[in-house]
Amino acid sequence: MFVEVAPPTQLAPAPPPSAGAGTPGPSHARRSAGSLARMLGRGVIPYLYLAPALGMLVVWIYRPLVQTANYSFYSWNLSPDQPAIPQGWHNYHRLFTLPEAGNSVLRTVAMIALLLPFTIIIPIIVGLLTAEVRGRARTVYQALIFAPFLVAPVASAAVWQWMLTPGSGIVNRATGLKTNWLHERLPALLSITGIAGWQMLGFAVLVVSAGLASINGDYSEAASVDGASRWQSTRWLTLPLLSPTLVFLVLTTVLLAGTWTFPLIDTLTQGGPVSATTNIYYLLWQYGFKSFDAGFAAAAGVIFFFGFTLVAAFLVWLSDRLTFHDN
Amino acid sequence: MALAIEGPTAEQAVLEPVAAIAAADGDDIPGGRSRVMTVVGHVTLALLGLACVFPIYWMYATSLRRPDDVYKTSVLPWPLSVGSYRDALDELDLARLLLNTTMVAALTALGQLLTSILAAYAFAVWNFPLKRLLYLAFVGTWLVPFQVTMLPNYVLLHQLGLLNTLTGVIVPNLVSALGVLLLRQHFDSFPKELLEAARIDGRSSWSTLWTVVVPNLRAALSALAILLFVNAWNEYFWPAMVLQRDNSVLQLGINSFLNSTEVEAWGPLTAAAGLACLPIFALYLALQRQVINGFVRSGLR
Repeated sequence: MFVEVAPPTQLAPAPPPSAGAGTPGPSHARRSAGSLARMLGRGVIPYLYLAPALGMLVVWIYRPLVQTANYSFYSWNLSPDQPAIPQGWHNYHRLFTLPEAGNSVLRTVAMIALLLPFTIIIPIIVGLLTAEVRGRARTVYQALIFAPFLVAPVASAAVWQWMLTPGSGIVNRATGLKTNWLHERLPALLSITGIAGWQMLGFAVLVVSAGLASINGDYSEAASVDGASRWQSTRWLTLPLLSPTLVFLVLTTVLLAGTWTFPLIDTLTQGGPVSATTNIYYLLWQYGFKSFDAGFAAAAGVIFFFGFTLVAAFLVWLSDRLTFHDN
Repeated sequence: MALAIEGPTAEQAVLEPVAAIAAADGDDIPGGRSRVMTVVGHVTLALLGLACVFPIYWMYATSLRRPDDVYKTSVLPWPLSVGSYRDALDELDLARLLLNTTMVAALTALGQLLTSILAAYAFAVWNFPLKRLLYLAFVGTWLVPFQVTMLPNYVLLHQLGLLNTLTGVIVPNLVSALGVLLLRQHFDSFPKELLEAARIDGRSSWSTLWTVVVPNLRAALSALAILLFVNAWNEYFWPAMVLQRDNSVLQLGINSFLNSTEVEAWGPLTAAAGLACLPIFALYLALQRQVINGFVRSGLR
């Protein structure tokens, strides 16, 4: 842009590096074979910088993705000396007829729904309340709420297992309940999502605070001059302006729910009791590494990937529409 | 998140105004600030904050009780005792686990930082064919859950003979799409005049990167480095898969301890868990601002 505006003197500034190797220099009339080779050489440079990261990406993400798609048409138990037997669409057929798979999808949806209060509702309330508090206290509150996010999932599993132990755990002793939190079906599901929510809350609060801080105060000021109440200005200005941030948090919750809950499920319940906490991620893991049914796990992974892409595309579309409010 | 970063949508809300959190302290709240709301704010936030740290407190409190007092519910663990820590050290080779975990986390974070710097530099400075597509390749990694790629990666690690080795934990994680996306934001906003000046001075792009760009973005790079280190430290899934027979990092050590003890040894267990979190908490207390910035800017994980 800078180059275009500058007058075309003899000493025209060279194109900034961002204009790239593809842009012909001012002296293209005199371009010799040597400088052409140099141009080509320069064209390679960005790819050289990209090579290490892209190479890793290809080897560890996209190659396995393709290979998973391939495995999904075979029956194979992961053992090197066992041949993989072609199965056609059989794995997919099993996937869609097996009640276990459908149930685990439902449980995943339930877990995501139970996580949303922790990643959306409480953070909004906390974010709005933090705006009322000033100074040092505010930093302290944020630090306290953020701290659980840094606890390693396995460590939090350990301490929660202790706190939820029936009889001697602090939760039951404080509340007087007799619930066996990790060994009854509904309480186990609630515990897993509750612990994951406890860990993610601080992160979501920070994201919402950042979103709130970015909203231009002029709007609310104008509204209050016009006589809008505090609630009206929150409801009709702040929340709509915050909506892209909230969509972002929903997307994060949906995409990462499995990553957050997996270590807790694996350490605390192993998917039980009676697979009450087996979500789709854990089911994939069990089929892959417990029953060594690689083809089936791969088919589930492929379906899963497409499902994710659809949900993400929808949320990105939604987020684009919502940003219409902002200018 | 990753996808939102493409458009000027959530990213603006999420990524840019991080510094504004603190800056907003001085802002007036439109609509007037009522005393009642301030009190409600203080009380609610204080209660929530205490509720959030209580499990962490309880972990350290239990670990510091005398082994006979573990089942007591007094808020203060008095008299103090390091007996649980001694038991935990007998049970687990904590020194080795700490060393291994530190090594894995540091090398992973360093490798990710390096590949991210190089890739982000390429994206920020040059225009080249397929740029958008290649950038999308990084963004798209968020759509590929770990569980989808684990089987082929496991097979490849087996073929490379890296199963049950720490190298096998580190190598597949040497790229962080998150790091690339974040650093690209910073590199994009780097003054182009400086790059141009370095070019006119006759510096190569390589030396410009290390003598001009990197020193000027130290704050952002250290925030990212901390973020990557904490993520690698707390990682569970991948090490669990690679190190199936050898619980040689902290997270796996605690897990095996958690599942192995027949008698519920809460004291030693909380001591081990507490020790595993200690380095991260120390990092947090020392570099609170950078840690928070790193995480919020990431808008992820």
